Amino acid sequence: MRPLTILALTGRGLRSGIWGLVALVAAIAGFTFVQPLVIASFGGASALDAIMSRVPPAFQAFARTRPEFLAMTGLPGYLSLGFTHPIYIVMSGAAVISFTARVLAGEMASGAIQLPLSRSISRPAVYLSSFVGATVVAAMVAVAGPLGMLAGLAYAQPGDFPLAHLWSMTLLCFALLWAIAGLSLLFSAVASSSGRVVGWSLGLLLFSYFVDYFAGVWEPLRAILFLSLFEYFAPTTTLVDGVAEPRSVAILLLTGTIAFTAGLVAFAQRDLPG
Amino acid sequence: MDAIAVNRLSKRYGAINALDAISLHVPAGEIYGFLGPNGAGKTTAIRSLLGFVRPTSGNCEIFGHDCWQDGVRARRELGFLVSTGTLYPDMTGDHYLDYVTQLEQRPAVLRPTLLERFELDSGALSRKVGGYSKGMKQKLALTACMQSDPKLLILDEPTDGLDPLMQRAFEEILSVVHARGTTVFMSSHDLGEVERVCQRVAIIRGGKIVAEAAVDALTARRQRLIEVIFSGPAPDWPETPTVKLLEREGNRLVISARDDTRLILNELSVRDDVRDILVSRPSLEQIFHEYYTAQGVREPGRH
Repeated sequence: MRPLTILALTGRGLRSGIWGLVALVAAIAGFTFVQPLVIASFGGASALDAIMSRVPPAFQAFARTRPEFLAMTGLPGYLSLGFTHPIYIVMSGAAVISFTARVLAGEMASGAIQLPLSRSISRPAVYLSSFVGATVVAAMVAVAGPLGMLAGLAYAQPGDFPLAHLWSMTLLCFALLWAIAGLSLLFSAVASSSGRVVGWSLGLLLFSYFVDYFAGVWEPLRAILFLSLFEYFAPTTTLVDGVAEPRSVAILLLTGTIAFTAGLVAFAQRDLPG
Repeated sequence: MDAIAVNRLSKRYGAINALDAISLHVPAGEIYGFLGPNGAGKTTAIRSLLGFVRPTSGNCEIFGHDCWQDGVRARRELGFLVSTGTLYPDMTGDHYLDYVTQLEQRPAVLRPTLLERFELDSGALSRKVGGYSKGMKQKLALTACMQSDPKLLILDEPTDGLDPLMQRAFEEILSVVHARGTTVFMSSHDLGEVERVCQRVAIIRGGKIVAEAAVDALTARRQRLIEVIFSGPAPDWPETPTVKLLEREGNRLVISARDDTRLILNELSVRDDVRDILVSRPSLEQIFHEYYTAQGVREPGRH
């Protein structure tokens, strides 16, 4: 495998959707940027405690935290709502999935993958270039959220918050996005169109999100909670403690690694669609 | 060494037998035509050579390297013409050619010659591919395929979208690269072009090779067209399994005869009303159509 060839392929994959990616990363940073501004506009964490105590239990579950916990955690707890918000999750997932869907399945559907694979470039090398690209995208998206929040905190100054905790949040975001990237690249390796990859990946995210959501209000679902990616994504404790739970990070990273490896095996053995 | 060796290659897609134990050998330095309509198995055979699909049984090799097991080595000296729909529309022509060079890691020694022959100037190359006409895209794809002077070219419909002048330019380029020792494996629906440039052809039908021979031998060994002009009305001519009456109008009679034409000529020579006889070889196109209008599939080697 020639590193320069892999980088050329990665560059091509990233360039082909660069403006969409830039727009999503900017939107994610913008979304987390406004969280401290919103908190400050309500009068800080203590003013929000009173509002949150009146929120119905189902909505508390949707927000993935409880008022008494928020009152105890203070500003970090409220900031964490930005990372569990569906808008954040949809935008982050879309940035990663749109890339992984485009690079393998999208190029197989258009036939563009014939160019590298008709040269002396192996399938693992083509896959590796997609893997590198997916990692870059996951890292960009993972950094964008905490970076936007850092800027928002500096601008709005809603209260005391240890900024170093955002490092742990970045690691946790990266672990989640790595798992999503691995699974969607696996889908891309076995599918024959980008639409199918997007469908499967969104299905997986929706499953994870709703299992995680309904498990808070419906006891029987807790038995399958371990299947949800969001079970291992705990922004509140991460922002409060300043440490991403090692077990959760390890599970997310392992999930992504296993999925990436399975995708490599599948892509190396499959017939390319005609 | 054969540039291409296909050994009892089969490929099944579920219940569909796309290729049924085909074998063919293309010696290095030859221009080889691969003919068949859509769905005959032509594309599957080419995709097997490129390592895009895994054979169900059998194998194919390029310069001795298995196309599936050892694909990277097999494709080391290969130039494949990608279809114009797969070109990146957001790249300029120049950027696309540079990108291909980067992927191949071989110098684009023939690029200036090809650009000149295909009349692709710097103005055209600085534009984005998305704005190109189909013919321009085809010329760019051909340049990308041949620019590094590979030892083997696999060309699927190389003149699709080219105007007659550019088709002629392509044929001239092909003769130049052939003189340099390049092997060419091409499929085309333009049978006249195949007849002009190829030395050997294979015809595939229903996933089987139904004919494989030198173009000259194929046109020489098969049927003859015999056109006879009589001084009076043309007589009726009895048909046999090897003789077909194609046309009988006024004093003109056209028959086709498979294999030996001497019996017919002997019969005509004793008649005193024969004014003229013209015996001609059929074109490759006529032979191709004969294979595709005939009932059943002939066994390879029985021409």
